[in-house]
Amino acid sequence: MNKKFAWTVIALLMVMVLVLSACQPAATPAAPAEPAESEAPAEPEAPAEEFVFGMLLVGPYNDKGWSQAHYEAGEYVEEKVPGTKMIYLDRVNTADRPGTTAAQLAEELVQQGAKLVIFNSDDMKDDAVEFTKNNPEIFIIHASGDTIWAEGENYQALPNMANLMGEMEYGKMMAGCDSALHTQSGSIGYLGPLINEETRRLAASAFLGARYCWENYLDKDPADLRFRVTWIGFWFNIPGFTEDPTQVANEFINSGVDVIISGIDTTEGLVEARKATSEGKKVFAIPYDFVGACEEAPDVCIGVPYFNWGPSYVRYISNAIQGKWESTFEWMPPYWQDINNVDMTPVGYVSGPAMSEDAKPLLDKFIAELAGGLNLWSGPLNYQDGSKFLAEGEVATDVEIWYLSQLLEGMEGRSE
Amino acid sequence: MNIEFRNINKSFGPVRANIDLNFSIKSGTIYGILGENGAGKSTLMKILSGFYKPDSGQILLNGKPVIIESPADAIKYGIGMLHQDPLDFPPMRIIENFIVGQKGGLIPSYKETIHEFKELQTKFGFTLDPEAYVDTLTVGERQQLEILRLLWMGANALILDEPTTGISAQQKEKLFAALRILAEQGKTIIFVSHKLEDVEILCGKVAILRKGILVGELPAPYQTDKLVEMMFGKVITLGDRNNVSQSNIVFELKNIFVEQYPMRIENVNFRLQAGEVIGLAGMEGSGQDVLLRACVGLIRPISGSVIVIGKDLTGKNYHEFMKNGVSFLPASRLEEGLVPGLTLAEHFTIAGEETKGLFIDKEYFKQKAEKMIDEYHIIGHQSSTVESLSGGNQQRAALSLLRNSLSIILLEHPTRGLDIESAIYMWGKLKERCMLGTSIFFISGDLEEILQYSDRILVFFSGHVSPPLDAVTTSLDQLGQLIGGKGWDQVFDIQENYESNAKS
Amino acid sequence: MNQMQNRSLSFLFQIGGLILAVLFVTIILVLVDAKPLDAFRLIWEGATGNSTRVASVFVVWVPLLLVTCGLLATFTAGLWNIGIEGQITVGAIFTTGVMRLFLGSSVSPVIVIILSMLAGMLGGAIWAALAGLLKTFGGVNEIFGGLGLNFIATALNIGLIFGAWSRPGIASMSGTEPFPEQFWLPTFQGFRISLWSIGFAIIGLVIIYFLLQGTHFGLRLKAVGKGIKSAFRMGIPTWQHMMLSFVICGLFAGLAGAIQVTGVYHRLIPSISSGYGFMGLMIAMLINFQAIWLAPIALFFAALNIGGIQLPIVMKLDSALTGVLQGSLVLFVLLMQGVKQRFAEKK
Repeated sequence: MNKKFAWTVIALLMVMVLVLSACQPAATPAAPAEPAESEAPAEPEAPAEEFVFGMLLVGPYNDKGWSQAHYEAGEYVEEKVPGTKMIYLDRVNTADRPGTTAAQLAEELVQQGAKLVIFNSDDMKDDAVEFTKNNPEIFIIHASGDTIWAEGENYQALPNMANLMGEMEYGKMMAGCDSALHTQSGSIGYLGPLINEETRRLAASAFLGARYCWENYLDKDPADLRFRVTWIGFWFNIPGFTEDPTQVANEFINSGVDVIISGIDTTEGLVEARKATSEGKKVFAIPYDFVGACEEAPDVCIGVPYFNWGPSYVRYISNAIQGKWESTFEWMPPYWQDINNVDMTPVGYVSGPAMSEDAKPLLDKFIAELAGGLNLWSGPLNYQDGSKFLAEGEVATDVEIWYLSQLLEGMEGRSE
Repeated sequence: MNIEFRNINKSFGPVRANIDLNFSIKSGTIYGILGENGAGKSTLMKILSGFYKPDSGQILLNGKPVIIESPADAIKYGIGMLHQDPLDFPPMRIIENFIVGQKGGLIPSYKETIHEFKELQTKFGFTLDPEAYVDTLTVGERQQLEILRLLWMGANALILDEPTTGISAQQKEKLFAALRILAEQGKTIIFVSHKLEDVEILCGKVAILRKGILVGELPAPYQTDKLVEMMFGKVITLGDRNNVSQSNIVFELKNIFVEQYPMRIENVNFRLQAGEVIGLAGMEGSGQDVLLRACVGLIRPISGSVIVIGKDLTGKNYHEFMKNGVSFLPASRLEEGLVPGLTLAEHFTIAGEETKGLFIDKEYFKQKAEKMIDEYHIIGHQSSTVESLSGGNQQRAALSLLRNSLSIILLEHPTRGLDIESAIYMWGKLKERCMLGTSIFFISGDLEEILQYSDRILVFFSGHVSPPLDAVTTSLDQLGQLIGGKGWDQVFDIQENYESNAKS
Repeated sequence: MNQMQNRSLSFLFQIGGLILAVLFVTIILVLVDAKPLDAFRLIWEGATGNSTRVASVFVVWVPLLLVTCGLLATFTAGLWNIGIEGQITVGAIFTTGVMRLFLGSSVSPVIVIILSMLAGMLGGAIWAALAGLLKTFGGVNEIFGGLGLNFIATALNIGLIFGAWSRPGIASMSGTEPFPEQFWLPTFQGFRISLWSIGFAIIGLVIIYFLLQGTHFGLRLKAVGKGIKSAFRMGIPTWQHMMLSFVICGLFAGLAGAIQVTGVYHRLIPSISSGYGFMGLMIAMLINFQAIWLAPIALFFAALNIGGIQLPIVMKLDSALTGVLQGSLVLFVLLMQGVKQRFAEKK
């Protein structure tokens, strides 16, 4: 009997090993993608003039979202700044890398020779700060952080850290406008990640953009516009830990939503929209973060607001190399002359193949209005619970927007 | 078929199971192989039937040397082995089981096979129902089926390994009759046993093995003393009943009604006196085991009460019974009695009555184990795991683990599978305890054992329990009939007598 | 002599298993076009290259060791405590809960840490006892009960992180608000590892070793594990012993969870158990439930975990590869045990 039991265990393990090795192919593409890497593993004793910068990506480097945008920005830096070399570690979160912390992993990048480390998630804030304090000789860029923003709520003076964030609020407003121009049912779903100030203000921006275009370009009653936010709990799906974005997207579709705006780093919204469309419904989606995100399902993608970290990373890394490092907080609006200029803009918006002919000029008009100074963060605006946010004629300050404490009146969904 | 063994040797690690065995068996005879447990009988038979390969030596069949590679090979040569526990396919009907053994690739003809089966079994006076399911059969019936199947497959020589264990007296008679018929037909019968009386009445010639060596061959008629001496190397006399019963009641069953599907036992009333030995006789599965377990709290009676030394323990669990001096030694030693994987010393540590601190005094229990090993003649070491011991030694170990001051010991088949020496030893130890006032309740399939050691006997027949019979006035025949369900009218008479005796 | 022979034979077969596991991983590496030698060298350096890395190995070693200590108690009683992950998680939840009670109070941080760690042990024990109750009174096999309880513990943990214990205005996977520094287990200057937690691990190991090898309780537990019916007949209260083994395991698992909170993450995070429970099950099988081998093997596994981080950084390989190595190690060693058994039988 004992023996039989042992064999059962072995069989179980066999399955486990198979499952584990099944995870393997996911990493396989990396090897051929960079054959040079495995030929000559990075050694700390690299040529003196080589400047190695490390990057900690919260999601997979090829997620067609937030992390890929950072990863490609790193490649952009390697191309534009001679003598630089990127090393990175992706899926830096406690669910994917149990038992580790981002600070510990950053140390490993430094061990591999990194002189500058980019933390790419707001969720790494505690670790980024801890690491910055413990490694004064290393430069740190914490993307989306606010630690060194003197006006901010979490201010700490850390001379070797910089905070960068694109003013995605504009991108989200364009996405909101775009979705209002495409919805037939008047019902828009916002696939939210976790809940914090950043995600609230981005969801609210999308809502403001949608309402503006709905009211001003389509001449419809704002009361007829439904804007629903559902949070899955993290920037991407972690089975067992977050809600499944695929399910959330389906719930949206089944309850009449016909445009899904994604606030998460992955493309489930797009995929489900295409599935529904192929089943006869007409559902559009707007992904997020990454300029190439539409590729996943071009036929239902009407546009994507994206980050373009490359130019700002080039700026900071060049400065670091040249000894001109500045510990600054930057919240960077689009390059209004051409919001899709790769070498200039931090934030952009590209129309997707599914964008309708009628909507195109209206969206361009909206972008032009924004470039011309249209500020949707102006009163009268109320919070979701009906309390007053901005009075008539009042305009929100950066701090009020950054730390937006509630969703806005007219939006459905949890505020915290 | 003539079978000849030439210089057979077989070792298992350091143990030499067969040493230079040389003898031959003529066709048409019933040849006995006698020896105590571990003498090498089973090993030799497993070599003959292809389960083991000899380390050296030859087997000759009808004068031709053969190499028997596997059991399937053996049956090709016409050698069929009947195991202690017949190997068959329980969820099948008899006839299906029978067809499975058939050679040839043709679709079996069901009707024809049934016909042939019936014809074959009437030759031997068997009355198996070919449509019955194998798992409903008794051990004896399975044996009959197995014999028929082996013959059907073309066996010319039959090896029977301890075939009389666990079968009734009538079944034994039938078996012996069938074996005699087969021998007359010219088949070779090899009868492996440690039971002297079986060998004496059945076998024309007998080989006696001891510790792997052929001690000698003897033709019938036999002198029992001589056989025993050859088996054990010394003369042992069977222990006797010693009638030590004292008159105070230590245990009482009142209107007990127990049910363990499909067995139902109703209305049992019984009183056990200190120092008394009670045998529970009956075919296996007649309810003895159910009642015994009800007596120790392993099965909860539906109604009635169980009283131990004046204390009503009905519905209490086994541990409560243990605390009150009741102990139970089950038949399946390694499942219910001893813990496989633990050493003898560890067993004594757990079972010991010593007051225990947090830490184990390993030295003390080692010594205690050595002492008990010595006292109970256990062949093994204090660091031996119990499963490495032979059956007889396991039973001795189980016995040695019983606490000293027990008022009742309940045993299931205390000597099953033991050689005579161990069995006698076992009873000697039990009787010692009886002298000290311990009462014994035991189940046995061996009616002679029951008659020999019991003061009183309870007979079971499909859930019916007889009133106690006095062992002295009960004969083997009578008991054999009772367990077969015959002659119960007389028992009811006896009951009346018993009651009137009790009143007077 | 014979026993020694047998032992060295066993050892040989185990080495054989190790070699097979390494071969297996090598084949995978070759298949994904990576250089196996570089990979193994990287793992080795990643675990031992400098003192920070060694300290990180010990950060993993401590909870892993504690969890496996607990599992030895349940394995000894013949129980597959799959619910170990949940027990770690609930331990962490209890620790966090108690610590939150004292946020901003004037109670000495030392007392707060002690209380919260005790609470963690209690939490683990309660969760383990639930699995035990389900088994003894509900007739639910501990494997299924444990799996269910794991799910509930995870859900509870995430519910708290996103709900009642979320950071103000934030519901994030990054966990609850970190505790102030005085509530952290004190660490070596500049390292992540705390001497205290290493101390707990060693004490735990010593306790479990003597409990299982030297006490009457341990022996009875072993008897229950090896033959529950016989153990009952020998007078051992079997279900009580099984319950106790669950509780002991839960205490250890809870302590591991408490150390994850007070010594490693300083807050509650969704994957607070870090998979150490399942890894502990693997280690327990690998060491054939012998406490004596626990410390080195757990250290080996911890080193693989930490060293494996280098693979994605330097070679762009998935660090799950070290998981494959760990899994295949257990697999092949067990396989070789089976082969050895057959080998012995043939003889």
